[in-house]
Amino acid sequence: MPDAKEVIVRVKRQVSPKGTPYWEEFALPWRPAMNVIICLRDIAENPVTREGQRTTPISYDSNCLEEVCGSCAMLINGKARMACSALVDKLDQPIRLEPFSKFPVVRDLAVDRQFMFESLKRVKSWIPIDGTYDLGEGPRMAPETQEKAYPLSRCISCGSCLEVCPQVNDNNKFIGAAIISQVRLFNMHPTGAMHAKERIAALMEPGGIQDCANAQNCVKACPKDIPLTESIAEMNRQAWKQALVGWLVG
Amino acid sequence: MRQPKIIVVGGGLAGLMATIRIAEAGVSVDLFSIVPVKRSHSVCAQGGINAAKNQKGEGDTTWKHFDDTIYGGDFLANQPLVRRMCEAAPGIIDLLDRMGVMFNRTPEGLLDYRRFGGTMYHRTAFAGATTGQQLLYALDEQVRRHESEDRVKKYEGQTFLSAVIDGGGVCRGICAMDLRSMEVKTYPADAVIFCTGGIGAIFGRSTNSVVCTGSAQSALFQQGVDYANGEFIQVHPTAIPGEDKLRLMSESARGEGGRVWVPKNPADTRPARSIPEAERFYFLEDWYPKYGNLVPRDIATRAIHRIVYQERLGIAGQAAVYLDVTHISREVLDRKLEGILEIYEKFLGVDPREEPMKVFPAMHYTMGGMWVNSEDQATNVPGIFAAGECEYQYHGANRLGANSLVSCIFGGGLAGPAAVKYARSLEKGAESTSTGVYENERKRQEEKNQALISPDGTENPMTIWRELGDVMTEHVTVTRINKDLQTADVKIRELLERYGRINLSDRTKWSNQTLNFARELGNMLVLARVVTLGALERNESRGAHYKPDFPERDDANWLKTTRAKWRNGEIRFGYEPVDISQIPPRARRYDAAK
Amino acid sequence: MSRTATRSETDYLLRKLHSFTGVIPVGAFLAEHFWSNSYALVSRAQYDAKSQELQTIPFRVAVEWLFIFLPMLYHGGYGIYIWLRGKSNISAYPWVGNWLYTTQRYTGLIAFAYIGWHLYTERWLTHGKSTYTDVEDLLQNPYALAFMFIGVLASSFHLGVGIWNFLCKWGLAATVKAQRAAGALGATVGFAFSVIGVLIVLSFWLNWHPFDFYLK
Repeated sequence: MPDAKEVIVRVKRQVSPKGTPYWEEFALPWRPAMNVIICLRDIAENPVTREGQRTTPISYDSNCLEEVCGSCAMLINGKARMACSALVDKLDQPIRLEPFSKFPVVRDLAVDRQFMFESLKRVKSWIPIDGTYDLGEGPRMAPETQEKAYPLSRCISCGSCLEVCPQVNDNNKFIGAAIISQVRLFNMHPTGAMHAKERIAALMEPGGIQDCANAQNCVKACPKDIPLTESIAEMNRQAWKQALVGWLVG
Repeated sequence: MRQPKIIVVGGGLAGLMATIRIAEAGVSVDLFSIVPVKRSHSVCAQGGINAAKNQKGEGDTTWKHFDDTIYGGDFLANQPLVRRMCEAAPGIIDLLDRMGVMFNRTPEGLLDYRRFGGTMYHRTAFAGATTGQQLLYALDEQVRRHESEDRVKKYEGQTFLSAVIDGGGVCRGICAMDLRSMEVKTYPADAVIFCTGGIGAIFGRSTNSVVCTGSAQSALFQQGVDYANGEFIQVHPTAIPGEDKLRLMSESARGEGGRVWVPKNPADTRPARSIPEAERFYFLEDWYPKYGNLVPRDIATRAIHRIVYQERLGIAGQAAVYLDVTHISREVLDRKLEGILEIYEKFLGVDPREEPMKVFPAMHYTMGGMWVNSEDQATNVPGIFAAGECEYQYHGANRLGANSLVSCIFGGGLAGPAAVKYARSLEKGAESTSTGVYENERKRQEEKNQALISPDGTENPMTIWRELGDVMTEHVTVTRINKDLQTADVKIRELLERYGRINLSDRTKWSNQTLNFARELGNMLVLARVVTLGALERNESRGAHYKPDFPERDDANWLKTTRAKWRNGEIRFGYEPVDISQIPPRARRYDAAK
Repeated sequence: MSRTATRSETDYLLRKLHSFTGVIPVGAFLAEHFWSNSYALVSRAQYDAKSQELQTIPFRVAVEWLFIFLPMLYHGGYGIYIWLRGKSNISAYPWVGNWLYTTQRYTGLIAFAYIGWHLYTERWLTHGKSTYTDVEDLLQNPYALAFMFIGVLASSFHLGVGIWNFLCKWGLAATVKAQRAAGALGATVGFAFSVIGVLIVLSFWLNWHPFDFYLK
């Protein structure tokens, strides 16, 4: 640490989607329990680089600041992290902040993760209820099923699993672990299971589950500890059964 | 028949529910949201959602839920609609269950219910400790389904600037700004439903998300939508202090048996766990033997303030008390509270299963909001509806835990069809409104942007915001003293004046978050005055509004809804009677049976 | 639901075929190949006899093409296509699974090149009549010897990781526990193949027959 009273932050910036990236460095006064969001707010209040140059505040996405909205994911010291839970005292300095590399940059650290929401549409990630009018209670469910499904339902669509996946890149539009795990969640639900086949079929389209190459980075990077590799394995089984055995036994 | 067009602004629980209902009615709906709707603030709700399903054989009824809600709200809520909400709640749970929300289950496969503050019944359905997230996702998925079938069009990354109101005072659409291109555009609609959530940002730090600025409500207020009961601000008793945010520690921690205490000796420096039972002061259990740790939020908050500021018993002399779950088995904690305990662990690096948590109250929720009628969520401006936290209807002077999610879904579910009905009843819709009306509004908003971006100011918006938050938190939260409220208002007016000399450190035309924040800040300042002046006017103590100089509830003079109006650039207060047709007011006490 | 493979599923099926051929028949053949070659550990004559037996099976050419050459070509060729579409990132995320992912690509490429060369020297140049002496002669060339070691180790590693991948990617090892067990199985297979492979190469190189006491 250069100075116990300072936090040095290097930010990879880009003025627009087509802009050329450049780096800026900031020196901020250290306080206890600082996180990366607090650093970015400090910069917004006094946007002056370490060299004394006036600059613009840094664009970044954030909302809940408690790791449930999925907004503030970025690369922190080269790793996919949520900025709100990245505590300064636990990071090596200078702290390097970069936008996710697998999504188009909007500006600075803000990226466009619409791909994930489009993918959720592709795999029909919902329970197709008849309507919101009163149709009585939902299906009963074993506590065991709920306990298995609940962790999957906590996915915040932050995109970390796509960011760290070697199979997601410019040459390959892999749908990613988060979406596959959502399919597992919906196929697990008694009503959702009635429509399992169409979700599985969507998962077998180009860029689908077959593009997973089992590097298992996703499960390590997931900030919500979702058992993504289990989900992928489970969906793999459902998929090949449908693709290879489905036409035999219906 | 003319196909009506409806806009929903805000994609939290209320907005999504309204959207679903409209889409279901076969009417096309445009959904505007600052963030992708899946990232809305509803995800932060932790503990659960109330419905008197009476699945624990306790004899719970929707009437008791209604009574608890009215009583908990200190009789300030208009009763008929609250009653309807409580009656609808079991059906809402069923609906969410059918949508696939992963509620916790009993061994029989039924939904499990936990206890929450302000009730004696197990009435709160929950999905781990992330119920809001689960509910929001369920509705988000339904909206995505409608979107994929072209009934809903999403406009995410758009911020609402103003309503388009024609010469007859009727809302004909909205004016919004794209947060990437910064383009200001108008969008015609026959009716607009606002579900724009909380106002935490006017207190600087709160348990709310970044987008909860109240900017939309304030903009509408300044266009003639009345704002009711603004002075009622819920301060949640247990939050984890932090410089960027006060992270909520859900009431469910107490619902599952968590206990609040301080060492009897504030100079006690031993680790919490080695302090023997006899030397701990479980002040909530001591002062409120009937409800104990599950007293309503306003009571718990004031008790903690009393412990810290009057009894001087805060842990090691600091503004903090212990919230202790260490006596509960790890297995139970992991199953029922994992999500929230994980937050504590992640942000403080301490395992709350091993060490009692240090918590302190934090601004959490606004009971007040846009005035709506007591039938169908319509505001006083024709064509504008409101639902969710941004309106004032359901919680009176204090909201009970786990009632917000139900009010969002109920209100949204009511507003959707109401807006459809209204839009269909119009003889002339937005399509026959002259383009000049839209163009004028767009120009007016462009001019505001230009004024902000012009480079002759000196004031930093972040600094103004910080000062606003400090003064609001100090004077307009738990304890309110008229002299201090006046000081606060003087300060806010000073900030408003400085706001006129704002200097943006970013004047670019692409994804300019500084410009957007500056626009929100202007609205926040106005709304802060509504809250502060409303508190100044109300000389009594009721629910979350506590004045030591007027410590009693004063039904004779103040059993009234505050209704703030904007007249010629000034805030004016009017008062209207509360509908108490169902349950006559009685004293609200939690130290004995009610 | 009656199903026929739609166009959009082609990609899925090709990928699954790649995964499947890696184990059967390519992996299975590797096991058979190591087994028959390990006769060299008994004696030169035993090896030649085993070799002769394999060279004289009915429908040999058809069997070779259908069960060995074509599957290998497909597995290797499609494997290269897969390789080109991945982008390794172990410097940022140096986790075990990620290392295996990357090494699986390199060992696959090495194994593919090696097998091509191996077929050329042992199958093509000998017209399918390779003998112990042919191999022994070849291994006098130090480069050939080194390549043989590298090839054997790369193939063994690739098979070991491949088994782990296969079990995960077909959902046969679905839970974390099962995947750990699958990993252990893959590691064991990879290790066993490496050891046996190295022993066989040593046998040819050093004219070393540790099991020749059977014949005494």
